[in-house]
Amino acid sequence: MILVIAEQHSGGKLNRATWETIVAAQQLASLLGGDASLSGGDVSLSSGDVSRSSGDVSRSSGDVSRSSGDRASALSITVLVPGASVGSVAAELAAAEVHEVVTVESAALESYTPDGFTAALQDAITQLSPSHVLLPHTYQTRDFAPKLAARMDRALLTDVTASKTAGSEIAFVRPMFQGKLTADVVPQGPAPHFVAFQIGAYRVDQVVKGAAPAAVRALSVTVDASAIREKPEAPFQQAKQAVDLSQAERIVSVGRGIKEQANIALAQKLAEALGAEIAASRPICDAGWLPMERQVGSSGQTVAPKLYLALGISGAIQHLVGMKGSSTVVAINKDPDAPIFEIADYGIVGDLFEIVPAIIEAVKH
Amino acid sequence: MQTLAFWILLLTFMGAFAAQVARRVQLIAAAPNTFSLDRLGFRTTRFVVDVLLQRRTIKERPVTGLMHAFVFWGFAAFGGYTLTEFLFGLGIVDLTHAGWFHAYRLALTPFAVAVLVGILYLLIRRAFVRPVALGTTVSVESIVIALFIATLMITFLLTFRLDEGTMAERVNWWVHATVILAFMALIPASKHLHLVLSPITVFLKSPELGNLPNLDFEKEQVGLETVKDLGSKIVLDAFTCVECGRCQVNCPAWGAGKALNPKTIVLQTQAALLAGERDRKLGEIYSEDVLWQCTTCGACENQCPVGIEHLPILIGARRGLASNGDAPDYLGAMYNNLERRSNIWGLGYDQRTKFVVASELETFDPAKHDVLVWLGCAGSFDADFQKSLKSLFGILRAYEVTFGVLSKERCTGDPAKRTGNEYMFQELANGNIEDLKAAGPKKILTSCPHCVKTIGDDYRKFGYEVEIVHSSVYVEELTRGAGINAAGAGINSGPDKVTFHDPCYLGRYAGKVDEPRALLERFGADISEVERNRENPYCCGAGGGLLFSDKDEEPGTRISDVRFKQLNATGANVVVTACPFCSIMLKGAGASAQSDTQFVDLMTYVNGKLQPRA
Amino acid sequence: MKIAVCIKQVPTREWQPRLNDDKTWIRDQDASFEMNEPDAYALEEALRLKEKHGGEVVVCSAGPARVSQVIREALARGADRAIHVEDDGLASADAFVTSGALAGAMQDEQFDLTLTGLQSDDQGFAQVGVILAERLGQPHATIIMEVQVQAPSAGSGQAATLRVKRELEGGWFQWVAMPLPAVLTIQSGINQLRYATLKGIMAAKKKEVRKAAVPAGLAGKQKIVSLYVPEKGKKTQLIGGSPAEAAKELVRRLRDEARVIA
Repeated sequence: MILVIAEQHSGGKLNRATWETIVAAQQLASLLGGDASLSGGDVSLSSGDVSRSSGDVSRSSGDVSRSSGDRASALSITVLVPGASVGSVAAELAAAEVHEVVTVESAALESYTPDGFTAALQDAITQLSPSHVLLPHTYQTRDFAPKLAARMDRALLTDVTASKTAGSEIAFVRPMFQGKLTADVVPQGPAPHFVAFQIGAYRVDQVVKGAAPAAVRALSVTVDASAIREKPEAPFQQAKQAVDLSQAERIVSVGRGIKEQANIALAQKLAEALGAEIAASRPICDAGWLPMERQVGSSGQTVAPKLYLALGISGAIQHLVGMKGSSTVVAINKDPDAPIFEIADYGIVGDLFEIVPAIIEAVKH
Repeated sequence: MQTLAFWILLLTFMGAFAAQVARRVQLIAAAPNTFSLDRLGFRTTRFVVDVLLQRRTIKERPVTGLMHAFVFWGFAAFGGYTLTEFLFGLGIVDLTHAGWFHAYRLALTPFAVAVLVGILYLLIRRAFVRPVALGTTVSVESIVIALFIATLMITFLLTFRLDEGTMAERVNWWVHATVILAFMALIPASKHLHLVLSPITVFLKSPELGNLPNLDFEKEQVGLETVKDLGSKIVLDAFTCVECGRCQVNCPAWGAGKALNPKTIVLQTQAALLAGERDRKLGEIYSEDVLWQCTTCGACENQCPVGIEHLPILIGARRGLASNGDAPDYLGAMYNNLERRSNIWGLGYDQRTKFVVASELETFDPAKHDVLVWLGCAGSFDADFQKSLKSLFGILRAYEVTFGVLSKERCTGDPAKRTGNEYMFQELANGNIEDLKAAGPKKILTSCPHCVKTIGDDYRKFGYEVEIVHSSVYVEELTRGAGINAAGAGINSGPDKVTFHDPCYLGRYAGKVDEPRALLERFGADISEVERNRENPYCCGAGGGLLFSDKDEEPGTRISDVRFKQLNATGANVVVTACPFCSIMLKGAGASAQSDTQFVDLMTYVNGKLQPRA
Repeated sequence: MKIAVCIKQVPTREWQPRLNDDKTWIRDQDASFEMNEPDAYALEEALRLKEKHGGEVVVCSAGPARVSQVIREALARGADRAIHVEDDGLASADAFVTSGALAGAMQDEQFDLTLTGLQSDDQGFAQVGVILAERLGQPHATIIMEVQVQAPSAGSGQAATLRVKRELEGGWFQWVAMPLPAVLTIQSGINQLRYATLKGIMAAKKKEVRKAAVPAGLAGKQKIVSLYVPEKGKKTQLIGGSPAEAAKELVRRLRDEARVIA
């Protein structure tokens, strides 16, 4: 059985990444089910077989090739939802094509703490005996999963982008050396094996939904609240007055190609559409069109967003050193020889006043 | 009676003179010895030209310099006269009636007139014209000295009119003698000590601009931290200063309204030495912020007519600060980049590899290649400057010069060295030297004047000597006899109206000012010279770590903005540069000014004329 | 305060990896190495805490002999002494073994606080800090932006406590309190890294580096069966077509390939 650990935001809302993990689980299940000799169980279900009888909650019944309860539990996916009061989240998750949703409720899990979650999940996992425990590689998972795996003396693979077969084993694919190499890694030692998947590695729209909601049941665990050493306060968002580009995930940056101050409004519209912060190269800030705190470069801010969209920026080296840490750089400039294209991942040579409105359109669909 | 009185006066005033001089000599002797007498021939020639012929004094301020030259030459000419009169006054020997003495006196007359003209001009300039270089307040002591000199000349001229033995003649004699003695007493306690010291200081000045001693890490030398660390040459310099302000008015930082003033630095040094505060921190005396405003352009040191070397003070004090972790944050980030990535940008060398591959460059092989091209950090990482290098490769290939590059380059260490991080510099230098020795080039070609200075001069002190030449010099020699390609399309039609910005490290440090101009004119440019050019350019503002300084921390305007205005004022709409940093700074200034001025690197210009695109 | 900082030596970021013969690890004989950058931020934070609260900073590293280079760099920046768990096998060890090696050497020192970087630039598992906390039996928190040490009231007999600011996703943050001793993994970029000064480098030569052996019985929990270069290189993709077409294609690639927009 593959166990997926669900995650909620602090407000109780389900973290979208959980759905990605369910996709990962479903695809891993296919792999495990495709070969009788694979670790994880002996089943003969060919991958891709999605027949299920309507009205039947559990996958195991009504299907010729899945008649054995053993086979079903070997392949089946259970979603575990830890927290204080998780009924609605559990119901939401039950829409997935999974064997069941298990809730682990305790007042001690009201706020996330590594001590609390480790204790609760260790208990739950020991009871459920999965072959694999899958989690999304979120900040929260980073915080407790290694502790949980170490407590249980089991392997944990993090930042995984895919699962595959490697000979007679299941291997997990993950980047190494800053993405310069990719590794196929096989966890060692007894089950369960913990695997944390990179956010975005799986697409939520690929989740297989069940014909009918899966069963939801409660699992009782013992958590000693007094043994929880961490005392968390309520999460908060940073006050918006201070511009901190260094924390921004997406940035739209303007250079001299924007021509006039009035045109910055166009860039701001794009920033809004993308949920991005606005930034600029030095001449724009020198001219006072944007405040100095929005300047990116060697004499301004150093930023490392996931997306850096450079509009009309030539790419002088003092600007480049301020944004070289960006994961994805998009450059839009009418000069095909602009140095920015040397370091951009994607580039469009053209008039930004035509292209930017088109991007805004495309983003909104 | 008069003889006795004269003896007493002489001994008193000379005693005062000696005491003051002794104090200063003591301070020089107590300092760590940094005197050197290498390259005696060069030093002698420079002595003759700068001291005896007053070249440096006259060059920057022609009229004022000439007036001073009058005073100096007069002073020198009068030496024999004063000696003879004093020997007479002391009753030792009377040669004042000798025939040769009379002829001598006659010969001195035009000198006396020249001195009078000179000193009156200088007096009026100081008291009434009040140029900013001389400070905000009028120096009383200078006025007094000027009046003394005038008096001396007038009393000398009067001797032709006054009969010997008369009361008038005697009074005249005594006035003259007493003024001389008073002058003597005043000399050591004032800037007039330069009369005694400057010939020595000029002679002892290093032949190399911006020359600092190596730090010996074994001896735990970390740079100049306190007053007692100042070397003997620096102490000598401090007492030689004439407060003329040439260093100040030529300083690009001062010119941009910043707090740095090289003249103030020297005078603060002098004051601290005289106050005997041996353990006082230099960072306090100069005020730390000011020290980091220097671009190391060398204008101060280069202009100084009395042989003061400002850079050893500034960079030496920077070393003291940097060694203790007190370099400003933006330099700290730069040092970390140098340590981790061996380049100031902190970028990965895959950029360089990409460029090398795209430009089809070969790894240098002494058996195959004429020259080694040193790309430098701009050449490795700055896509903009790589265009200039591509032009250089185009020129070399057109002339069938075979060349290669090193498979690995680190920053030469120039930014670390000029900002005082000597450790980082030596790490980089030693690594590069090892690689260069292994590669074995006879000649290195580069487009970065900073690399020329560092590899050419600084690496020599670490045991690596090689001929390294700037691309402008190499290409000038290469293209002699060439002209504009008849089909050549210029940047505009007809001769291009350009202005050339001399890089400090090429024009001032290396003295190469003719080659870029020869190249430009050879290829059809019409050069409008900018104010502050050739060996005395106004810095672009990148040197000394200022490339990275934060705007908010900087008082005044940006040095690059000031220079850009100067270049714009020439009316040329194309600015030609020959250094990647000048290019970065000036383009930035142009962008900030929302200007349409074009910038082109010299190599791009030349290659564009040699091989215009179809 | 007695603060431990765990640092790792990794190949420099621009080093082009070469694979060993059976393609299960890199061939690092000709690589250049540096201190793992996230650990540099942990070190900086430790040095600042020492400057504020007094005490000593001890740098701990597990790896082959060449690791002494980054230990010296840490000492040159102000760490007081170091512990080097030396073994060639540690070069390719997984987080489980590495944290076991470190814990073995650190156990008896009774550190008040242990800081590590977020993850390593080579393997990037982001586990050592957390597993170390588990092995040492201490509370922990990860991705820390700010550390406050709250001294106990005098005579209360209580230990100092920690209040730390955790970074959550999406611009959210959270303060968490916990008793000392504790382990923290530090977010990168939270402070300005100091550089190695000449005086620091000279002083580092005289600082103590204690060697320790890897405890027996540590076994890895993962096996790399294949290491290879991913197909997609870092080449600029120029998108052509009319503005509308190019825009649409760009958005598609950002959504599906790069996955940087929703």
